[in-house]
Amino acid sequence: MSNIFDIEDEMMTSISYREKTLYASLVVELIVYGPYFFLHRQNSVDKVAGMIVGIIVLQTILQLIIAALTRNRITDERDRLIELRGYRAGYLTLASLMVMALGTLWFYADVGNHRLEGPMVGLHFLNVFFGMLIISDITKTATQLVAYRRAL
Amino acid sequence: MAAIRNQIRELRAKREMTQQDLADRVGVTRQTVIAMEQDKYSPSLETAFKVAIALGVTLEQCFQYDARGKR
Repeated sequence: MSNIFDIEDEMMTSISYREKTLYASLVVELIVYGPYFFLHRQNSVDKVAGMIVGIIVLQTILQLIIAALTRNRITDERDRLIELRGYRAGYLTLASLMVMALGTLWFYADVGNHRLEGPMVGLHFLNVFFGMLIISDITKTATQLVAYRRAL
Repeated sequence: MAAIRNQIRELRAKREMTQQDLADRVGVTRQTVIAMEQDKYSPSLETAFKVAIALGVTLEQCFQYDARGKR
């Protein structure tokens, strides 16, 4: 049971249910996405599909474990506010990356006068757009974790 | 310094109430109570009223607004 004069440092040792799930999400994202982008030189549609299945399975297992181990699973207005901040950061990241990708594409195809063709173009675009989604998702999770530790 | 300051910690200590007790009465997490006590989070008006009621004081006795404070 917590002391009446709970010391402020307890903030670091006591984390909420929502925060635990965010740490789990971040770990799963890094474990699953990391090898795809940094270890494999040749990616494929099958690997993307496998990665999506892998992340769903791992997330489900970890969330179940956290839910089973956490007694108090309530979420409140602060959790919802932090969640909104995370989504805003994620959206801004995604929109910025999208503009950059479109700009690069335009520069490559129009100014550079290169033709986009060949069997790898589809996979290349799949990787680029999937990468943007992943970066924005990790940004969303990281922003929320930072918000839990800083003043709102 | 935060724009909205509060006396939650002192009032809670006077009533020998733990952070978890207050959190349960208000319907928030203990981490939110800790954040409020450290002036790291300014609650909604509804939650502020609930905190004041749980501590048995008026809103003004529990929360103060500092116009020069950082929002």
